[in-house]
Amino acid sequence: MEFYYYVNIFETKGLEYVLLICFLVLFILLVRYLSTPEKKE
Amino acid sequence: MNNTTAITSDFKRFIRFFLQELKPKGKWLTPFNIISIPVILLGTIILFIRFTQGLGSVTNLSQEFPWGFWIGFDVVIGVAFAGGAYIITFVVYVMKVEKYHSIVRVTVLNGLLAYIFYAGALVLDLGRPWHIINPIIGNSFGYNSVLFLVAWHFLLYMLAEFVEFSPVIAQWAQLEKVRKFVSALTLGAVIFGITLSMLHQSGLGALFLMAKPKIHPLWYSEFIPILFFVSSIFAGLSMIIFEGTISHKVFRNLIGEKSQHSFEEIILGMAKGAAISMFVYYFFKALIFIHEQQWELINDFWGYWYLVEVIGFVLIPCFMFAYAVKTRNTTIIRLAAIITLIGIILNRLNISVIAFKWDAVNKYYPSWEEIIVTLMVVFTEIWVFRWIVTRMPVFSKQH
Amino acid sequence: MDRRNFLKTTAAVCAATLPFKNIKAEETEMKTEFSGVLVDTTRCIGCRSCEVACSKEHDLYVPDIKNDSALESLRTTSEKQWTVVNRFETEKGEVFVKRQCLHCWQPACTAACLTNAMYKTKEGPVTWDGDKCMGCRYCMVSCPFDIPKFEYNEWNPKIQKCNMCFERLQQGKKPACVEACPTDALMFGSKRQLMEVARHRVYNYPDKYVHKIYGEHDVGGTGWLYLSAIPFEQIGFSTDLGTTPYPEYTKEFLFSVPLVLFSIPAFLLGLNLLTNRKNELSEKQGWKNE
Ligand code: SF4
Ligand code: SF4
Repeated sequence: MEFYYYVNIFETKGLEYVLLICFLVLFILLVRYLSTPEKKE
Repeated sequence: MNNTTAITSDFKRFIRFFLQELKPKGKWLTPFNIISIPVILLGTIILFIRFTQGLGSVTNLSQEFPWGFWIGFDVVIGVAFAGGAYIITFVVYVMKVEKYHSIVRVTVLNGLLAYIFYAGALVLDLGRPWHIINPIIGNSFGYNSVLFLVAWHFLLYMLAEFVEFSPVIAQWAQLEKVRKFVSALTLGAVIFGITLSMLHQSGLGALFLMAKPKIHPLWYSEFIPILFFVSSIFAGLSMIIFEGTISHKVFRNLIGEKSQHSFEEIILGMAKGAAISMFVYYFFKALIFIHEQQWELINDFWGYWYLVEVIGFVLIPCFMFAYAVKTRNTTIIRLAAIITLIGIILNRLNISVIAFKWDAVNKYYPSWEEIIVTLMVVFTEIWVFRWIVTRMPVFSKQH
Repeated sequence: MDRRNFLKTTAAVCAATLPFKNIKAEETEMKTEFSGVLVDTTRCIGCRSCEVACSKEHDLYVPDIKNDSALESLRTTSEKQWTVVNRFETEKGEVFVKRQCLHCWQPACTAACLTNAMYKTKEGPVTWDGDKCMGCRYCMVSCPFDIPKFEYNEWNPKIQKCNMCFERLQQGKKPACVEACPTDALMFGSKRQLMEVARHRVYNYPDKYVHKIYGEHDVGGTGWLYLSAIPFEQIGFSTDLGTTPYPEYTKEFLFSVPLVLFSIPAFLLGLNLLTNRKNELSEKQGWKNE
């Protein structure tokens, strides 16, 4: 019993791109956080 | 001709020297020896039973769980932890970052031994180990198999690591010519080694690609190979931090005060690398989570367990690393390294054992014999490691 | 020899000397069709003659079929028995299902095997060779039906699984179980023939059968096919295994291996030379005086 129906395999692409943008923003923040010279205690 | 005679006399001298070096040095009744010797003896007995009466006599493996602790822990996790060697050789020999030069030798040694012992533990798990030569000497090449690839890469990588480490051996045996020769091979071995590492680290994950219906969908993904590769980066870095911390305590007299200090700098650098790679890994996981539309799966035991692994043992240590780098706090780094290592153990065991046939009635758990043999493998490795570092110029940087 | 035949032979001779030769030879070889067996579960009466025939043929444990207690619980094939019959209580009464290796068209087990001990013969059966197997059990991990079984309590363990009586097929005989079946629930033939028979039955008795032939497309098509009166999930079949042949899941990885081996060393060397250059500019130093 096989049913055939249309499956949109790209349904989540939009969300994935949003995630990607979030990632890039956060990644830049992280790298900046890591590479700014630490304050002298 | 002169050359050959020189080499043979060198060789004779080396043999004499080697026999003399075999003798133990130092105290015998250290706490480590007291624990490890009985374990190793017991492990030998268990292995004897295993080879005479079959795997079933000492392990809990079953028809449903053909791979257990020996593959899941010794091989899959052991190799992930040994990832440090290819990262450090990359940084030092390819990128030429001199700062890490002082730990190259010990890391490569660790990697080499890890491969010999942990990948070697695969042999213990084989039902018919005497046929292990079949895929190697070529009377039956199963090119189509991922395991074929992984096995070959293990072998070649061990060779590459051995070449990388051999200058130290040559220096120890005072074979100047040999040392010159093998040193010249280093860059080649490093490049070859890094490539092989990329392939077999991911290959270990690719082993599970065909087990699609058996692994819980939260852990199964067609990107397992890439996830394994990326996670081997921070697994390797954390292992260097962890293992370096211990060596710097235990072998304090072998390591000069100066490198003791530079080690702090090294740890900070590696923590930075770990934080970044973990961050990438975390988002990679998130991407897969969204792509596979797995949100319905999250609200049961396995979903929570998944969150524990991904948030508790990836995201949190990632932030710990970042915070510690900022505040130059090596204690937090060490703590984060340990959490990361546990996270790697969890992740690899989840794929190979825990979330493998997650709904099975008779779940697999390792028998005490399996654990003893695993400990035996680890302890023997430490013995050999100790034997080598107390004799060869592993911790010193001079060339 | 008439003209046409002459032309044919010349063409054949030419083809044989040309590099196409192998392609030609392979094409004719491919003409051997994979054999399989059609299992019509509506005809099976659960007599378990096949279990006995199989075990006798392969010197395995011979079950006592006078005693039905084995049917009480759901059994799987084991290292002692290559095939088992299970009983299911369903809305259409008792249904018996014989299970064994399905002899997939593109088997996961042979793709997994690093020694070629698991081997897909060109006749169709998937066989195991003890002189090659190293007992890694990767075939067990990979098989979507959990068919290969391992002798855990032997010092020299074997992988045990149905080989479709490969030795008998070589002698032109049918598999032992097919021969033993008293009700024609099992039918031996090439998959093409079997599919025709199976479709025929479904078309003629549309109310008797569910309209699916298990194994037609599942895991890329299997040599053994099943017909059933009730949905396959209810008689112990996984219907969510997909239609992708299992070896395809590793295809991309295996293909990327040579790509990585081609490109990464060159890339690394390039990187190294680049940094060399940088260092040279600053302090005249190369990796050789390392
Ligand atoms: S059913 Fe399993 S053992 Fe049989 S051919 Fe398919 S993959 Fe191999
Ligand atoms: S256990 Fe034997 S038959 Fe199975 S994959 Fe390993 S070598 Fe091949």
